[in-house]
Amino acid sequence: MRRVAIIGAATTKFKSRWLDRTYYELAYDVTKEVLADAGIGKDRIDSCVYGMYNDLFARQYQPDLFAHDYIGMAPRPAVRVNTGGATGGSAIRMGMAEVASGMSDVTLVLGVEKCNDCFNYEAGITTPEVLKSINYTADMTYEFPTGRTAASVFALAVIAHQEKYGGLPTREQMAKVSVKNHRNAVKNPVAQSPKLLTVEDVINARMISYPFGFYDNCLYTEGAAAVILASEDVARKLCPKPIWITGVGAALDWAFLGNRPNLYEFHSSREAAVRAYKMAGITNPRREIDLAELHDAFTGTEIMAYEDCLFCEPGEGGKLIDQEVVEPWGDLPVNLSGGLIGCGHAVGATGIMQTVEVVMHLRGEAGERQVKEARRGLVQSIGGIANAWTVVLILEKEV
Amino acid sequence: MPTKIDAQKWYERNSKRIGVPVDLIRQNYREEFEGEKDIGEPLEIPDKMEVFYKYTYGQQSRFFREIRENQKLYGARCKKCGKVFCPPRAGCPHCFEDTEWLPLEGTGTLVTYTIVYFSNSVFARKVPFVCGYVKLDGTDFLILQSIYMDDVEKARPGMRVKVCYQEERDGRITDIYFTPVDE
Ligand SMILES: [Zn+2]
Repeated sequence: MRRVAIIGAATTKFKSRWLDRTYYELAYDVTKEVLADAGIGKDRIDSCVYGMYNDLFARQYQPDLFAHDYIGMAPRPAVRVNTGGATGGSAIRMGMAEVASGMSDVTLVLGVEKCNDCFNYEAGITTPEVLKSINYTADMTYEFPTGRTAASVFALAVIAHQEKYGGLPTREQMAKVSVKNHRNAVKNPVAQSPKLLTVEDVINARMISYPFGFYDNCLYTEGAAAVILASEDVARKLCPKPIWITGVGAALDWAFLGNRPNLYEFHSSREAAVRAYKMAGITNPRREIDLAELHDAFTGTEIMAYEDCLFCEPGEGGKLIDQEVVEPWGDLPVNLSGGLIGCGHAVGATGIMQTVEVVMHLRGEAGERQVKEARRGLVQSIGGIANAWTVVLILEKEV
Repeated sequence: MPTKIDAQKWYERNSKRIGVPVDLIRQNYREEFEGEKDIGEPLEIPDKMEVFYKYTYGQQSRFFREIRENQKLYGARCKKCGKVFCPPRAGCPHCFEDTEWLPLEGTGTLVTYTIVYFSNSVFARKVPFVCGYVKLDGTDFLILQSIYMDDVEKARPGMRVKVCYQEERDGRITDIYFTPVDE
């Protein structure tokens, strides 16, 4: 396998509604930005991978065709990836395969999503219709008709975790994750929901799906993010600060949760982390990783992700937030971008946005959010019914 | 001179086209037609995506017909490893062996649950409700279902439940639900 570097990275503003942009216009904007960041013209791009999740959001099947057209990439080969919330991570993994295999020297990986064109006329708001579009990804025969939502399915896992580990994570621990991620978003100019909240604000917010309240949930977001991947030869010629993808791990678990051995851990997340660590030669992730962007779709699942990424023992994830290890001033900051809760969840773009965040830290270009002496970072992307898919990426700067 | 379009007729045409009452269309597009809009401002348009189905349950058909016609719950047992699936499947994914039908008692244990306070357009009027994974007695895996309870906050992992059948059954999984068993 050839080494693969990230030589360009860009994210549009993440916000609830881009009323003045369609999805392919957002793809166009972010392509322009990422080419400028890499300092190359589009002629250098050999192939494209598109991360786009929901055709019902887009009101369009095969939206990648039109994005490809809009950014003028014809007739290059391109493929679209859709693994739910993990789409961004999966798209980077597929782009990496293009370059590592030698099929391409330079590959554009672009994620874009626009959810809030969905609209519930009766309620006069978008959310119930957005949720409906997401729910069509549940098994239509056995699970969609029960009325469960994405929040419910992750809530089921957190309740199972609490049942297994004596009530952990606690309500307070989950609330602290929300406070942290909203606060981190304050320093991120592209974030959708920068907020200074208290633990009480989070606990007292209206209930969405027990035990998650309003601020325990990620946001619905519109936006785009992109990276340009290159082979070592090309990266050394074109890029002063290449960031290397030194590890990648992916897994897809049983989608009917009832078939999993238990519901208190996410097996795909554990599997993906183990594979990525093996490839990157990491034996003590807690010590060897300087920052992580985890898929905090919900506060409780960020805490479960600490465990599934082997940052701590099973059941002890809540300690990392109590001991401030994952705060910006701790020794393993998590979700400095604000994550899905603070920066936003533009599904197909999310994992790429989080990769861009880690790239900025490793380059030393993260501004106010910059982690001192960041050498190695982790990105986790999850998707599908209660973490069916996970992709974990390990990024490193030249040493 | 170009003629101006009649807003009321636009509301009516679009109400009919997407099947949303005309007053809701008017309410959500009033600004477009009755406010001041610059010609280049973003323009929003009503639409929907719709497909009709007459879908098959394939090898799971008997499961749904037993519920609808006989108010009986069936699982599927692997002829090799003996594991029992409910929801049923025709073949075991562990052994690649056929399964056989097995009648179930319909009692089970709630393994994990949540209380849904906010749901999608289809279920918005039903909240709050409990849904959770139930391990049916005699099976090896879990089924996701609604648990009907007077007091939703009394739901707990480990709670014993039993299957109940709707009076009006359609051949869909919602023909069944669970209720707590007093023990
Ligand atoms: Zn078997």
